[in-house]
Order: sequence, then C-alpha cells, then structure tokens
Amino acid sequence: MSVYVASILTNMALISFLALSAYLVLVVGVVSFGQQAFFGVGAYVTATVTSIYGGHAVTGVFIGMLSGAACALVLAILTVRLSGLYFAISTLCFAELCRLGLLQVRAPFDIDGRTTGPDGPEGFSNIRWIFEHNYSVQDFLVLTTVCLVALLGLLFLLERSRIMLRARLVGQDSILAQSLGLRPILYRIVFVTLSGGVAGFGGGLFALFNTYIEPNMFGVMLGVHGLAYAVIGGLGAPIGPLIGVAIDIGLLESIRAISAYRMIAFGGLVALLLILLPQGLISPRFVERMRRWRKLFHA
Amino acid sequence: MDFVQTNIDGLLAGSAYALLALGFSLVFGIMRQINLAYGSSLLVGAALAVWLEPILGLGVVGLFLLTVVACVLAGLYVERLCFAPNRGKTGATVPMIASFAIWMQLDEVSSHLLPSRTHNFPGLEIPPMFFGDLYLRGDQIVQFVVAFTSIAALYYLIYKTRFGLLLRATAGNAETAFLLGAPTGRLRLMTFLLAGLLGGISTFLILSADGQVTPLFGLWSTFKGLIAMMIGGVGSLPGAVIGGLLLGLIEAHSSTQFGAEYRDITTFGILFLILIIRPGGIMGVSAYRTGRLAQERI
Amino acid sequence: MLDIAGISKNFGGSQVLNDVSLHLRAGDRLGLTGSNGSGKSTLVNIVTGYIEADAGRVTLDTVDLTNRPAWKIARAGIRRSFQSARMLQSATMRHQFRVEMNTTTQGLAAIDAAGLSPYLDHFPSEVPLPILRKAEVVRALVTEPKVLFLDEPSAGFTSEELIEFADFLNAHLSRSTALVLVEHRIDLMRRVATGIKQIGSARSLEDLEFEHA
Repeated sequence: MSVYVASILTNMALISFLALSAYLVLVVGVVSFGQQAFFGVGAYVTATVTSIYGGHAVTGVFIGMLSGAACALVLAILTVRLSGLYFAISTLCFAELCRLGLLQVRAPFDIDGRTTGPDGPEGFSNIRWIFEHNYSVQDFLVLTTVCLVALLGLLFLLERSRIMLRARLVGQDSILAQSLGLRPILYRIVFVTLSGGVAGFGGGLFALFNTYIEPNMFGVMLGVHGLAYAVIGGLGAPIGPLIGVAIDIGLLESIRAISAYRMIAFGGLVALLLILLPQGLISPRFVERMRRWRKLFHA
Repeated sequence: MDFVQTNIDGLLAGSAYALLALGFSLVFGIMRQINLAYGSSLLVGAALAVWLEPILGLGVVGLFLLTVVACVLAGLYVERLCFAPNRGKTGATVPMIASFAIWMQLDEVSSHLLPSRTHNFPGLEIPPMFFGDLYLRGDQIVQFVVAFTSIAALYYLIYKTRFGLLLRATAGNAETAFLLGAPTGRLRLMTFLLAGLLGGISTFLILSADGQVTPLFGLWSTFKGLIAMMIGGVGSLPGAVIGGLLLGLIEAHSSTQFGAEYRDITTFGILFLILIIRPGGIMGVSAYRTGRLAQERI
Repeated sequence: MLDIAGISKNFGGSQVLNDVSLHLRAGDRLGLTGSNGSGKSTLVNIVTGYIEADAGRVTLDTVDLTNRPAWKIARAGIRRSFQSARMLQSATMRHQFRVEMNTTTQGLAAIDAAGLSPYLDHFPSEVPLPILRKAEVVRALVTEPKVLFLDEPSAGFTSEELIEFADFLNAHLSRSTALVLVEHRIDLMRRVATGIKQIGSARSLEDLEFEHA
C-alpha cells in the first residue's frame, strides 16, 4: 500500500474518532459545536507526555483520552441548567476559549537538540515518537485501525445495553423519558464525558501521526465537519459517522471532477439528504428494520 | 478622554454588530430557528459583489446595492434549502444542522470567488472628524448612522405595520399562527429576506470600513452576530441592538486594557459567564430546561 | 395516599385551576371530566411534574412532591399516559418495555392480554391505536405504581374498542393502585370509575352524580 493511500486512510480513521464523538452527543439529543476542543486537548496532552516527558505512545494517548473526558465533564457540569440552543452555543464558546487559551501557552523545551513543546501560534513541533520507534505510515495505519475497531466493538456492546436504549429515549422524547423515571441531564453528562474521551483519544493519535500540531487546527470548522459526518451517516449505529467520513474524504475526494469543490458538494449533499432522511442514512429506524429482517431471515 | 474615546469606538463598531445580531434574532424570534449559514451567506454576498463589480463597473454605490442584493439572494437560497422543507415534524434541530452544512458549502464557494487571502473592498473615502481630543473615523460615523436608520426602519416595520403585526403574532408560536390563517411560509421567507437585507447593509458597512474582505469574514460575522444576540437575549430584537452595542463596548475596552491579543478571549469568556449565570441575557429570555415544557402540548 | 391540596394555576391572565383539592386512597377509581380546555390535562401535568403550580401542594404518603421534576415524581410511583400515546418511535414494541425493568411473568401476561404479542417486532406507528393505548397502560402497570393518571385514553376509539379497553383496565389494574381517569366519554368512566369529579366554572373540583355500570 502506498504511503499516499495509507495517509488518506489514516486521516479518515482519525477524523472518525471526532465524528463518533459528535455522534455520542447527538444520540442524547443535543448538538455540540465543541468536540474539536476535546480533540485538541487530547492532541496537546499526548504530545506533551510523549515529547516532553518521554512517555510511551500508549500512555500518552491514554492520558490524552482522560484529559478530553475531563474537559468534557467540566463543560457538562457547568452547563447543567442549559437547554438545547444555549448548550450548543456554550460548547462553541468553550471550544473557542480552549483554542484561544492554547494560543497563549508558550513553553518551548529543547530536547535532543530540537525545539518542542507548545509555542502558541507557532504550534507544537517535533512530536517524534513514531520516528523514534520506527513506525512507518502503514504501521501507524494498522495501529489506528485497530484502535478504531476496538472502539467500535465497545460501542457495539453499548448499543445492546439498556443504557443506550434509555439514552436514545432521552434524545428522542425527553418528555416520555422523564415519565418513565429517567433523568435526562444525567445521560447528557455521561455521554458528553464519553464523547470527550473518544475525541481526546483520536486527538492523541492525531498528534502522533501529524508530528506537528497548532491551536488553529482545532477550530470550529473541524467540529462542524465531525458533526456533519455523524448527521449524514446517521445516528442509528456507530458505523453511521464512519460512512459520513467515507462519503466525504473517501468518495468525494476521489472523484477528480468534484474534489476541488468537495465542500460545496458535501454541504449540499447533507442539506438535501436531511430533507429526505432527517435522521441520516443509518437511522435508528433503519437499524431496527435491519434487525427485524435478520430475525425473520433466521426464523 | 481616553475612556470616552474607547466608548465611542465601541459604540461605532457595535452598531454594525447590532445589525448582525438582528439578523439572527429575527429568524430565531419569529421562527424559533437558528440560521448558522447566516454569516457565510453574507460572505458569499460580499464575494459575489466584489467579483461582479469590476465587470459591471458601478462604483461604490453600485457595490453597496450589489452586496445587499447578493446577501438577500444568498439568504433566500438558505431558506429554501434548509428551512422551508424541514418545518414542523423534525423540530428545530434538523434545519439548524442543514444550515451548518450550507455554512461549509458557502464558505468554499466564497473562497473560489475570492481565491487570495484578502481582497480589496472599496471604502467610502470619508475624512475623519475631530472633536477636541476625540478622533472619529468618518466611515464609522456613516456606519453608525446607516445602522441606526435601518434599525429605526425595522422598528417601524415591526411595530407599526400590519406585516409586522403578523410577524409578531407568529413569533414563537408558528403553529398557532398557521392555524389562525397567517401565511407562515411566506412570513418565514420575508423574515429571511429582512435578515439578509440587514446583514447585507451591515456587511457593506463593515467591509468598506475595513477596506478588505477575507474568507474569514463568514466565521467572524457568525460569531459576532451570535455573541451579540446571546448577550442581549436570544430572539429579542431590542436585545440584539443592546447586545451589539455592548459587544462593541466590551471589545473596545478589553482592547484598551489588555491589548488586542486578549480581545477575543475576553469576549468569549464574558459570553460563557453570561451563559452560565444568566443565559437569558440582558432581556432575560427564558432559557432553562424546564421552561419549555409548559409550552409543548403533551 | 395521594393528597392534592389547593392547586391553582394561572396561564397569562387566565385562571385555569383555582384551589383544586383531591384525596386518593389505594384502589380508588376516579373519573375526571370537564369541558375542553377546562384544565384537566393541566392538573395532570402539574401533579406529574411537567408544569409548575402557582399555589398548592401535592403529597404522596407524606412525601412532598409539589413542583418536583417529572422524573422524580415518576420514580416516586406516580405514572401517567399521554394524550398522544407516546412511544419510542425508532424502536419496536419489544423494546418499549425494556426501558424500565425486566418483564415479569405478570407483565408478560398483561402484554399478551393487550394483544401485543403479534406486534412485538413492529414499530409503534404500525400498531393499531387501541393496542397502543393498552401498551401504554401495561408499560405503567409493570412498575406497580401507586397512582396512575390516564389522560384521555379513549380518543379515537370506537364504542366496541372502548368497552374492550374498559374490560382490560378492570382486569389488570391492581387493587392497590389508584387510578385517575381523565375522560370525556361517560361510557368508559361508568365502566371503570367509582366516582367522578368535574372541573367546573369555578375552576375547582365538583362532585358529579353518576351510576357505575
């Protein structure tokens, strides 16, 4: 597999983490414009752990994941009383505050003769773990894919649980959920925190792969893209957001006539699709129908 | 004197923010929808105008008209694609989501129309004025005057005409208004056109004062409009004006106190605090989770 | 058991409820009626926690539930149905009951008696309305609630379906559960309720004379 193709696939896998994190929030019925902040926090923390403190990539990404989750938890708790729109705007605010904050952090270190560490708008360079451990692009693709598949597995298990059923109920009909004794805000806090962890994990891998990160990579548009993938792919199953990513970066990018106008095509596609299928391609109903089909098929 | 100068600068800048906030507030106040494509529709309008103007050679006034018309048309496009088909059954979230897809789309359209990092946007070439120690930029004064004339015209439209009455009746309860015979489809269209009109005026004023248009204007105007609207109170028209002016003042003062670098952090920080402490903004719009249930029919 | 005292509610200048008081004991079957817009649903919404009362108290077995959040009231043992037979639209009927607890044999029997068995793998939108309403009741009953509020369950029923629904309620409501049946249709109330109150023009409750069938 050529380095070019491996690169693209790795980027697709990395942004899938962001899309999945948006998915987890959408499932509980809220919109978050701030997932890119957790992605960025994960990236910076992982870079710090591996480059400055010489930690292993696994440790770095793990701590990055926890940092993303912690940030998300803080946001979720601060915004307990806010309803839908206000929550959405507050996530945007929070994310921009994180980005602007990172632009002010300047702590360059000199390690092995190279400058690394966060340096405001100059970014965090020389995140060299994959070079030091002889990981080729293809190797890293395998690593990222394994992680993504593991996450999908966990989410698949979660799907079958009562927690997910209740979360979906809270997301789709909060009034009904409350009449059954479910406390919506609890589900929001839990799932936003989980989404922060997922985004942080992806961000950590991203930092290692890119070897250079800077705060403006984690702006609003990144989060909006993640949301768009989750929305077009559908909220029925975790594979949905991945399909969204595949449509944009896979399909549209590979059609040469479109690739220069990719966002024009993709944006229009999402808007049009929402008219016909407001719940995305892999909607909850669709998934349930598939399950029913399979049951009949086996019976 | 420095204090007065800062306040004046703030208010002048804030008048443009007020128009942007009004654009968001009109759509939210009447239709209970957030149009996230608003900022980039204004950018597209400006981009189209800048792109067409040399071809048509109409000068500054022509550019103004072009900008406004293009912004209105862009708003029409967004309304037809995102908000018209998705009313009712899917709630307010789906149209908002569709609108941010179009935000991405229009941003890219603009960068194709204006490929360089920055494009010249002809200014009004009005000399600055001096009142003793105070320095007033001529074009910003024009901006202020035009902005408030527009706001006054809007006030008249909303509160003194039959059309405005229909809009206010629809506000927040489109379903009932529809059942009572209000032409909600057309009203929504008119609301978007109004927002486009105000936005177009604001866009021209801001860009001509700045002398340039960059691809970042879409995101920038989205933020300014949303923040100003939230400060004043979502969906409230007087709130939008107050919020816009306040935002201008906050920015001017934080620039003076902390330097331009910290201006945005201050703005977002204040907005975040407002959201946590008093999300309803200055006008005290109801914002907490439990408030809405009373209005739903269950 | 359930004590409602002095509930008042004013909506933007219009006094919808005025000093409404009610006392329910275990096993009571109360019908609640009144003209359209008289505030029956408002009362239910207030007691079940969806709207705040301007004045008054709601107490369940000495626990004060006035103006508490809806989820807390539900967990305390007050359940309800909705005028529009709310279900999780994207899941099949089987899953509607999974939300709360494992289905007991008693629950399974009730699901069967409701005629739901052939529809367990169908979406709520594919299920006939009378069966859907019964499903709502079953969903509430499996939690063995102390009080059950049914908000106009017979809307859309034919007379036969209504009689069948009444029989279903009488067969499956436990003796310890108190029922408040908000209804227009007298034939349903006569079959199920042991007493009827009405929200009159004074906006409080008045007893109505009636004969239990």
